[in-house]
Amino acid sequence: MKVDVQSLGTFNQLAHEGAQAATDAMAQMTGIDTQVDITRITLVDRAELGEDLADRSFVGIQFDFEGGLTGETVLVFEQDQSAAIAGALLGDGASEEMAQSSIEEIGNIMMSGFIDGWAEFLETTIEHDPPTYIEGNGAAILPDPATDTTRDQVFVFRSDIEWEGEEVSFYIYMLPEYEPLAALMAEHGSDAENAIPVEKLAAFNEMTREGARQAASNVEMMSGIATEAEVSQISFAPIEDVPKQFSDEVYVGTVVEFTGTPSGFLLVLFDEQSAITVAEALMPVEIAGDGLTDQHKAAIEELGNIMTSGFVDGWANVLQQSVEHTPPRVVHDMGRSIIDPLAAQLGQFQRHAFLIDSKMMTDELDFECEITALPNEQELRKALEQLDLDRTTETQASVEDIFGT
Amino acid sequence: MGHDGLIMKVYDGSSTERETPERLKVGIAEYEVTTEGAELTTSGLGSCIGIALYDTKTAISGLVHVMLPVAEEMRDGKPAKFADTGTELLVSEMVDAGADTDCIEAKIAGGSDMLDFSDSDKSIGDRNAEQVRETLGSYDIPIVAADVGGDYGRSLRFEPATGELVVKSANRETKRL
Repeated sequence: MKVDVQSLGTFNQLAHEGAQAATDAMAQMTGIDTQVDITRITLVDRAELGEDLADRSFVGIQFDFEGGLTGETVLVFEQDQSAAIAGALLGDGASEEMAQSSIEEIGNIMMSGFIDGWAEFLETTIEHDPPTYIEGNGAAILPDPATDTTRDQVFVFRSDIEWEGEEVSFYIYMLPEYEPLAALMAEHGSDAENAIPVEKLAAFNEMTREGARQAASNVEMMSGIATEAEVSQISFAPIEDVPKQFSDEVYVGTVVEFTGTPSGFLLVLFDEQSAITVAEALMPVEIAGDGLTDQHKAAIEELGNIMTSGFVDGWANVLQQSVEHTPPRVVHDMGRSIIDPLAAQLGQFQRHAFLIDSKMMTDELDFECEITALPNEQELRKALEQLDLDRTTETQASVEDIFGT
Repeated sequence: MGHDGLIMKVYDGSSTERETPERLKVGIAEYEVTTEGAELTTSGLGSCIGIALYDTKTAISGLVHVMLPVAEEMRDGKPAKFADTGTELLVSEMVDAGADTDCIEAKIAGGSDMLDFSDSDKSIGDRNAEQVRETLGSYDIPIVAADVGGDYGRSLRFEPATGELVVKSANRETKRL
């Protein structure tokens, strides 16, 4: 299967419109006004699917669909928000049983809208089962993607929907089976020139994972903190939706521009507390003063530099291209504002963007770090064209050689 | 509201009065117009600019969050994404809602040149600010307050009740424009 940027763009728009159809159906039936915040397509390891849901408790509905597109879909929201939803539908004092049935009702309304939106666009029929009520923690709430032993990675469409005026967010996940999706994407694609074989996107994910592992091991070497790289995914969204994937929380980290094929930006970001924790683990001396000091920032700069180098070198080795990067710039600002000018710089030339991200964490300390690459889309495509899959496989077998551990 | 910025919600005052005004979030490349004093917020402006327009007679207010200077450079049918078409769109939607361009005043914030890696003399933030000034100028809409440039991000809240634009940044005092 090849995916081209146009068909990814089309499918992203489609998923977005499906989600909008879902919110329209909801507004019409219940008067509840919701807004689709962001829709993205992600290619992720099946084992890592739903990591973004952390270990929060969710309730929602699930059903299978088949026809022009086949797969499973869920609509979920956090369990402690179900009272607000039931309250809006039934008034205060609804019993738990009534709350559950109102969730099923909302789920049914929204998801019928969602599937109808897809079917309409694809000019095909998509049948679906009646929804089943589900509850669970984190990733466990999501259905297991269709068993397919030949592929480790799955495409996921995710839309975040916000209920205006209430602190309620709905998440729609759609997990289509690979073959019917591939056929549809091929049908809706454009010229083959822009196409990326999906295996290469998957291989790129693997490379990124290795880069993140290397970065994690560098952190461990410097700090003695055993660090794990978790979650490596490549996602695709309209450029203006890229900053929305970052929160308003304050982050500390480094940003570089890398040049070569591909070029783009690489960010290493820590939340403020993680930055303090890691910096103090790195520095032998006691730090004077409260909060995040210049000493902390200097340590983060050094760390960001080392992580960036590991990451970029890993890419360069696999791609057999030289990838240079600027000295790191230290940032300490709202996550969304940090990514915003970078997205804008790419947005002068492209309408959509690939976002490649990895998370790192450790059991030892309360610490989390995100490594994000925002490559120039055309150049990423070029780099993937040149990517020799055999070599990637070799690389996976001998990561230590490549990354020099 | 749609990401394409073409669908608009107008709050027409028919709902019951509230103690605290409603709050409407405006995402990147989106806008909102309110006729009943809803607070308009947007977050995480780096080089992006938030343009708050306020009709001093009717209190009709609007906020748009634009990302790039000129729509023509990147045709993609999302007017609210660009400083020129986004400003035009907001003015026209406010006029449709009953505002009079002669009574509209503007407050703008954002347009930071943080993390600008380009070789050009002007950062995207500067070019965004310039374009906003130019487009507002073409309507003779005065910019009565501005907090643009610098090397830090901003989040905004426009309060139609007072006509104030509240600008928040990480590690800085909140400003009220």
